[in-house]
Amino acid sequence: MATMYGQQESIYNLIPQEEVKQEKQARYTSKFRGNVKVEEKTKKTSSKTMGPAKVELKKPEEFHKKHSKEPQLPPKTKFSYPDEETKRPAVPKRDEKPLMGLKSNKNFVNTNAVENIMSVPKKPAANFVDTVNGATHPLTPSGLMPKYVKKKGYGEVPTYLQQRNEEVQRAQEEYDEYIKEHYRRGAMKCLTEEERKAIMDGLKKNWEEIHHQYQGLSVVTDTAPKKARKERMEAEMKQLERDIELLEKHKVIYISNH
Amino acid sequence: MGDQQRKAVNGGEENNSDDIDRLELMSTIGFNGSSQGSLSVHPDRNHIVYPLGNTVIVENLNSKKQDFLQGHTNTVTCVTISRSGRFIASGQQTHMGFKAMIIVWDYEKRSVHCKLDLHKVKVQDLAFSPNDLYLVSLGGQDDGAIVIWDVMKKEAVCGSEAAVKSAGTTYCVAAANQSDFLFFSGGERTLRVWDLDVENRKIRPTDVSLGQLKRIVKSIVVAPEDDYFYCATTTGDILRIIASTKMLSCYGPKKDLFGMGVTSLVLVKDGTFLLGTGDGTVAHAKFIDDKFKVIKKKKIDKAGHITSLTLRGQGHQFFVGTSNSHIYRFNFSEFTYEMIRTCHYEEVNDIAFPKGCSELFVTSSKNDIRVWETASCKELMRINVPNMECHAVCIMPDGKSIVSAWNDNKIRSFLPQSGKLLYEIADAHNKAVTALAVTSNNKRIISGGGEGQVRVWDIFPREQKLRQTLKEHKGVVAFVRVNHSDTECVSASTDGTCIIWDLHKFVRSQVVFANTLFRCVCYSAEQSQIITCGTDRKIAYWQAGDSSQIREVEGSKGGAINAMDMSSDGSNFVTGGDDALIKVWDYVNGVVTSIGVGHCSEIKRLRICPHQKYIISVSKDGAIFRWKYPSNCSL
Repeated sequence: MATMYGQQESIYNLIPQEEVKQEKQARYTSKFRGNVKVEEKTKKTSSKTMGPAKVELKKPEEFHKKHSKEPQLPPKTKFSYPDEETKRPAVPKRDEKPLMGLKSNKNFVNTNAVENIMSVPKKPAANFVDTVNGATHPLTPSGLMPKYVKKKGYGEVPTYLQQRNEEVQRAQEEYDEYIKEHYRRGAMKCLTEEERKAIMDGLKKNWEEIHHQYQGLSVVTDTAPKKARKERMEAEMKQLERDIELLEKHKVIYISNH
Repeated sequence: MGDQQRKAVNGGEENNSDDIDRLELMSTIGFNGSSQGSLSVHPDRNHIVYPLGNTVIVENLNSKKQDFLQGHTNTVTCVTISRSGRFIASGQQTHMGFKAMIIVWDYEKRSVHCKLDLHKVKVQDLAFSPNDLYLVSLGGQDDGAIVIWDVMKKEAVCGSEAAVKSAGTTYCVAAANQSDFLFFSGGERTLRVWDLDVENRKIRPTDVSLGQLKRIVKSIVVAPEDDYFYCATTTGDILRIIASTKMLSCYGPKKDLFGMGVTSLVLVKDGTFLLGTGDGTVAHAKFIDDKFKVIKKKKIDKAGHITSLTLRGQGHQFFVGTSNSHIYRFNFSEFTYEMIRTCHYEEVNDIAFPKGCSELFVTSSKNDIRVWETASCKELMRINVPNMECHAVCIMPDGKSIVSAWNDNKIRSFLPQSGKLLYEIADAHNKAVTALAVTSNNKRIISGGGEGQVRVWDIFPREQKLRQTLKEHKGVVAFVRVNHSDTECVSASTDGTCIIWDLHKFVRSQVVFANTLFRCVCYSAEQSQIITCGTDRKIAYWQAGDSSQIREVEGSKGGAINAMDMSSDGSNFVTGGDDALIKVWDYVNGVVTSIGVGHCSEIKRLRICPHQKYIISVSKDGAIFRWKYPSNCSL
């Protein structure tokens, strides 16, 4: 007994073993959880602030009738087997007697001959032969005949792609428009030709007026006011000349926003 | 060894220890549970304080960090904490005719606040007054005095005989909860209330009249308002005394007294109390209208006496210390307990590691053999043999049995997992089996006895045969060691000889003589040399071939070298002895490379673990220390 124990026991078994913890799988959570949460919340308090939805009431004559909420079933049909029409007639019964003594006057020889003469010859089946022994196979499903090439609309861009391309193009155009608009809005104002001309004419007219007055000045500038007036007019005319020159020199003129 | 001598040794070591590494102490297993009230919880609720040998240990309950308060020269007998938690006072015992010291420690600094030296031989009990002003100390049987100390001035206020001449020993002292000038003492046929008169430096006793009742009081606790005090008696009942009139109010239980006396008592907030008894029962009880009623009761098996009960905080949890050095943690509301610590309560005699395994070790002591897990210091298994002392323990190299040598002349072998007895060899020696070794083929035991014989036993599955008796030694065989190849063994004896025996011819091959009591012997790594140690404090190297001495070095300045072990690579060896120091030596140069300071009493045995990671050392006070093997020594 003791030795039996001795074979089993060992001091090395007393060494505490570290317990290996089995990794648990992550707990299952439904992928609909988020939706459910949201839905529950929205449905629960749907009529909290505004009260129940205002719905038009039914007319008195459309009162709730019996069985009206039950599902409408299709009308009953008599059962028939699907092969009833193609079925051969029933075997004659025991006591049934065939019609006897019926005789046709039809000349089968003639009619057959006439039918055959009159008949349009049968078109041979489109087959292809692949071995020397002459094994034939139908040609159509074999893929040797061009089939899809002859299909209607072959090689055309499919409509859905067309639509899409159109959409893309339209979007691109809209975008370009928008960008252009944006730049235009941000850009400086450009003087048109008419405006330029108008300004130039106005300036020239002013110059002529001042020049006319200038010519009419007295020859002797003996007093201070006279001198001041002459100098002022000279300065104004110079300024106008400079402006006219500027406008004449540049065809395109932008006006700064600031 | 004398206390003075020990101090000198420690001083000497400190001077030349600058270039020597300190061994890192990894953990200790030890608790001196036999003294009354030894375990206590600090008022900060996170630390427990308990004595171990001549040390007081402050341990954090959460982090398990231990602080050692060292200063006593002999076994600490009592420890008490002041109510604020600022001071810890501990008293010791000493040899007959010497004075026993009380040390008051500063808790925060973990340092000595003052040393108080007045009592003779033993300090029995200590108590702080409620505001930490005074410390009351009670001397032991040979002293019989009560002394009041001023804690701040660090001097005695006054003293008096604890009891009248006709009374017996006084066992316990307690301070009041409100007044700093009121104390209580109790013992054999004495129960006194003391009033302190500081101006006149006097304490005045008043005897409590118990009428016809004769009791021996072991513990006193005082009610929070100082109106009553409660006495635990060896009879197994509790006395309630009115403090103002010094009259017995009531006592109980009148029937079904607690077995083996009430040994410890503590009051809970709501006026009920917890008590521990000599048979290991912990009970929650109260007095209702002068009638004693037990509310809850729980008996702990094999715990010994309950020597200390201490509440953590208000008492939702409390700790129980027992004489068998167990510490239990109780849940107050559910009254359930769990053991949080256990250790040897007698001196540990031997350590053994399984072959090639550092995770476990086995220690042997009086009454039991225990298997410990090295890293966590947890007890894994215990083999009890009541009233017997195990001198030596070995584990068979295959790990299938633990062989042990006992003082009832038997060699017992146990199964290592169930702890069942596998076989025993009765009358293996005439005067106790003192040393034991096993061979590496698991088939032979070599034992040494108190009468000086070395015997070789052949072990078979169903029988154990005495192969040979080797009669050469004249004294106790202290140690036996077998060489690696099982061809010879060496035995060390207290008659001053070490003998190398041939295990084929069973004759003496070499003998070594020295004027010492040999304690331990080791083979060198090549088995060509042996090193010995003994009470002459010398470590001697000998040639195994011709028994000539190669070298002799001084192993210790203080005391005998009791234990020695060689590292498995043979480059170092470790010694330990009565000076309570662990020394790691370089084998080739014969110099100390590291020193381990921490043991509280004489080191009895030490071992290096097979993987050279730890050094395990055991001492006379039952403590087991685990040290980190110095990294500069290992490969």
